[in-house]
Amino acid sequence: MARKTRDVISVEWIKLELMRAAYATRGGTFSRMDPRMVLLWYAVMAIVPWFTHNLTVLAGLFLLNAVAVILARVGPLLLFLFVFGIGMEAIYILAAAWLFGGDLGTLYALSELTLKLGAISMASMAAFVSLDPEKLSDALLALRAPALLAFAVSYGYRMLPILVEEFNTVFDNYRLRSAPPRRAGFLGVNHLYRWVRMAILSFYPIFLNTALSVRTTVEALETRGLTYATVDDRGRRIRLGYLKVRPLDILVLTVSILLVVAVFVTGQLWPIFRTDLLG
Amino acid sequence: MPASPVISLENVSFRYPGTAEDTLRNVTLQIAEGDFAAVVGGNGSAKTTLCKTFNGLVPHYWSGEFSGVAEVCGIDTYTSSVAQLSSQVGYVYQDFANQLVRPTVRDEIAFAPVNFGHVDHAERTREALEMLRITDLSERFVWQLSGGQAHLTALASVLALRPRVVVVDEPVAELDPARAQEIYQRLEVLNEQFGLTIVTIEHHAEFIARFAKSVVLMADGAPVWHLPVQDAVNRSHELAEHGIPAPQIVQAAHRLGLADAPRTVPEAARALRAHAPVAATASGTASGAVAGTRSGAGPRPSLEQFTRPAAEQASAPLPVVARATAVQHGYRTVHGRLHNVLDELDVDLRRGDRVALVGGNGSGKTTLLKLLAGILVPRSGDVEVSGTNTRKKSAGQLADHVAYLWQQPQQMFLKESIRSDIALFPRERGVPGWEAIVDDTLSQVRLDDFADRDGRSLSGGQQRRATLAIGLAMRPDVLLLDEPTASLDIASRDAVVRMLDQLSGTIACSVVATHDMTLVSEWANRVLVMEGGRVASDLSPHELFDQPDLLTRANLVPPQITQLGMSLGMTPPPLDVREFVDRFDGLKLQHADLHPASADLHPASSAEMRAYGTQDA
Amino acid sequence: MSTTQYQRAGQLRGTGDGLNPYALTTPQKLMVFVLSMALFGLSNIILEIIPDVTIGPFDFSIAYFVFVPLTMAALFSPFWVALGAPLGEIIFTDLLMGDFSGLAEIEGFIQMFLAIFIAGSVIRNPRNRAQIALGALLIVFIDKLLSAAVDLSKVWIGVEDAEYVEGLPESMLLLEGVGFGIDLIISGFLFGILPALWLVPALHGRIEPLMGMRPRVAGEPIPGQGKSSGPFVGAVVLLAVASFFFAFLEAWDVSVGAWEPELLEQFGMGFLWVSVAAIVVLVAVALVLFRAAQKKDARTPTHTTGV
Repeated sequence: MARKTRDVISVEWIKLELMRAAYATRGGTFSRMDPRMVLLWYAVMAIVPWFTHNLTVLAGLFLLNAVAVILARVGPLLLFLFVFGIGMEAIYILAAAWLFGGDLGTLYALSELTLKLGAISMASMAAFVSLDPEKLSDALLALRAPALLAFAVSYGYRMLPILVEEFNTVFDNYRLRSAPPRRAGFLGVNHLYRWVRMAILSFYPIFLNTALSVRTTVEALETRGLTYATVDDRGRRIRLGYLKVRPLDILVLTVSILLVVAVFVTGQLWPIFRTDLLG
Repeated sequence: MPASPVISLENVSFRYPGTAEDTLRNVTLQIAEGDFAAVVGGNGSAKTTLCKTFNGLVPHYWSGEFSGVAEVCGIDTYTSSVAQLSSQVGYVYQDFANQLVRPTVRDEIAFAPVNFGHVDHAERTREALEMLRITDLSERFVWQLSGGQAHLTALASVLALRPRVVVVDEPVAELDPARAQEIYQRLEVLNEQFGLTIVTIEHHAEFIARFAKSVVLMADGAPVWHLPVQDAVNRSHELAEHGIPAPQIVQAAHRLGLADAPRTVPEAARALRAHAPVAATASGTASGAVAGTRSGAGPRPSLEQFTRPAAEQASAPLPVVARATAVQHGYRTVHGRLHNVLDELDVDLRRGDRVALVGGNGSGKTTLLKLLAGILVPRSGDVEVSGTNTRKKSAGQLADHVAYLWQQPQQMFLKESIRSDIALFPRERGVPGWEAIVDDTLSQVRLDDFADRDGRSLSGGQQRRATLAIGLAMRPDVLLLDEPTASLDIASRDAVVRMLDQLSGTIACSVVATHDMTLVSEWANRVLVMEGGRVASDLSPHELFDQPDLLTRANLVPPQITQLGMSLGMTPPPLDVREFVDRFDGLKLQHADLHPASADLHPASSAEMRAYGTQDA
Repeated sequence: MSTTQYQRAGQLRGTGDGLNPYALTTPQKLMVFVLSMALFGLSNIILEIIPDVTIGPFDFSIAYFVFVPLTMAALFSPFWVALGAPLGEIIFTDLLMGDFSGLAEIEGFIQMFLAIFIAGSVIRNPRNRAQIALGALLIVFIDKLLSAAVDLSKVWIGVEDAEYVEGLPESMLLLEGVGFGIDLIISGFLFGILPALWLVPALHGRIEPLMGMRPRVAGEPIPGQGKSSGPFVGAVVLLAVASFFFAFLEAWDVSVGAWEPELLEQFGMGFLWVSVAAIVVLVAVALVLFRAAQKKDARTPTHTTGV
């Protein structure tokens, strides 16, 4: 088999993914909002579905979050994976339940669960696709999350390409310097074994090299006031100074809450419960 | 000294916990406000520990036994804190890439001012960006930066605290010479225009002589002396004893009998012009004393041979060992477009070639080496090594014919000792007599005594020799090296060049990607200049140094001695000190004609300064 | 100057060993935290690249490289590794790769924190193979048990009278049980015990000096748990209990949800507040510990002045 260049599994790929995360904002509604308000919106939407077993309400919430997903301009691939995943999950449980003597009631029970979990997943998709990691960590910082968390995010940003590149290099070294298997074995099992072994062995030098570089990083952090900032609050306030609640935030939150209330009211008027369906 | 001391140490001693001896021993030292001090000294002379006392990392971060008084900007460091001192003393690390912790350049620079709660952090950031003239980099991601840009970012991030002193630990170590020179030029501006006190740790006498105002020589944990730079350069033999060989122009000046050591190329040129009549009479003794001092390179080719690459000199062309045909390779950008690094590249590498691959950052040197090694396969076109198309075999199988040595030695140390690292290839592949191969290779690179040490614990030069040994034990036809002399001090670099010289017997063809023009001039017999994704020129080292515009375009700084030869009008320019001294005798200097040559003194650097901001990583 | 015997001339101002020699200094803790974050994050990114192997409902892929956090917990400090490693996973693979899932991340963090902390504390001697093997299994066991419990409670709470639905409880138990077994074998044994038995001894005594630490010796107190006295251990125990509690409440949290009138009557509004309190306790304790450690370090040199 001739070798070809593929565009995955490379440092460039990781960098691209990172850029995409950084510019995650596809320009949807939520990306223009204050990140704290987006979190609040998510919290409401993620918790509300647990308050009811009413299928009418759940279906309404499901629709509501589906609209949010569209407003957030979630990519089609992500949507497909979501729908596929949630569908397969339900099918597996259903199949297993039938084995144990389930019936139509099981199907209804599962549809309740699917509606619930689906609504919550969509809320998280809509919210977090719109927040780049820096904004999200600022929002968490504003909600009094430990400063280490915010640091961890920016450090991850910075280090991820470097670490992946380093791993790539060490792995390539093993690839070149260890012996390829003489025979491929059943389904290429010898190759699989070699690759797994190399991936694990690569961690020995990676551990040592990373330990060396972390030493400089932590020392530099000290000179640049990371620990000082955990004692003195001014830095945090400056960092979060740009966060501001605007009319759009209030509008989105109000409309969402009103719609949720409307869904619950509708549910009260035309309730459907699992037990009703079974007659 | 006229100015008051900004750093003042009085009998400072320091011992790291768990060690038996003091690392710093009764250091008494004063550095004046506005000084540009170079701290020099051999490995283990505690240069770095000394500089870490300036911002309180010793003893507040690295605790240990501390005695004596260290005062920085009038503050006793012992009763102060790292946080307080960091506003007075900025520190740029040798491995500066690990010092960057934020995604974008602007965030990185604002990081410290924000942490310390400075309301004017935006202004400080802008100011730091402007001081180093890197404002146009401010929205870049730090991992998009080239080495030089990353170093400037690290420097700017400490400047944002408006320190009075900036310590820079070995800027040359992880940068190519052109970039290092640029960093020094920026430091010079900071020192002269903004009045900052600069302290650098430095091995390279060339930079010390050109930029520093005073020199602190450290040995055994204490300063031997602290002298104005001219006095220090005049003691070049003392510096050489401490592992800092004199710059080429100083060596040449001494051999030609100049009294005062020149500190820059123009100065040397001026002095030699004035000296020339004397040199002509004294030449016999001067060159006689020199013969044999430079043993490694062997006799230089005669002037007639300068013009053709070695492979073409021979009556019949030697066999091709590796060949790239119409190779095109690149990577995807954010927008999904393909960015070509190599574009329709053709090249033949023949037996006996010692190829230096040169070119600016991002010109595709490393990509070409990895394609030759089979680590990458081209998107289109073909690469053949020892008659095998790299598409047909896995990289692991190709490794029987070609070895690639990475730029960072520590990424090649996979095992717990360099002996096992060298043995990895021959042992796993069941090469007969692999034990003997390992032992031979170890002694070939003179690391027998360190065979059982982890590669990471060795010095820079030893690490590089260990990676060379790893490559040699693979017994390849083609040896590919990525920047083998980067980050080495001059003595270690010379050792590596000597070793490369001795390889010709066992290796059919070696290719070195490098920015080190001394390596090119002393080792290579063929130079490939990469530009625009192709081999723009294929020539001999002498021809290369005869074309200043080519050097500039490829971001190369010729060795000092070549610059000196060029400015004295030697064609082709000399490649090493011995050649310069030999040919200096025959040179007819025209005293009236001083100007035209001096314009070309630092072609790369001046163009660099102009092009810097717009250049892509 | 080399002829005269060297003697210190300056006045000794501090010896720097006012600390318990076994305890980690603040920079060391931060180093361990950052290192474990970076390495576990990296190992998860590598797993992202490897395609998942699923056969029907069963996932045969590697959940994580258990040996990575285990090695660090065994060699350094279980506590700081337990804080750093799961955070690295969340940030590197979920946040930066655009796969962040809100509350579920907190759930995952706590499971992993407990798993690594407890497993790491079990290893008293980094050279003891049995302890290493036990530690590797414990990480997967605790983490996966908690996550199975969370999954089951989600169904139990999310579906009205779930236990009365024909076949549902059994099928859920079956799926979770088989998944648990697979994870134990693949992640716990193949990618846990086997690599850890090689890596922990290989790095012991080699990596610590690079970070300016003493290698751990069998029988000495473990730096993460620190001195076996006083408020520190108390706080750690409290944290462990609080987070165990929270892990289960997390299932409920999701749960915060099961707001049926009967349920409220049964438990009262109380349990809502308990779960909020648990989060507050967890965060507060972590903050207090970190800050206390800092203050202690900052004080030490001035205390020893003039000794």
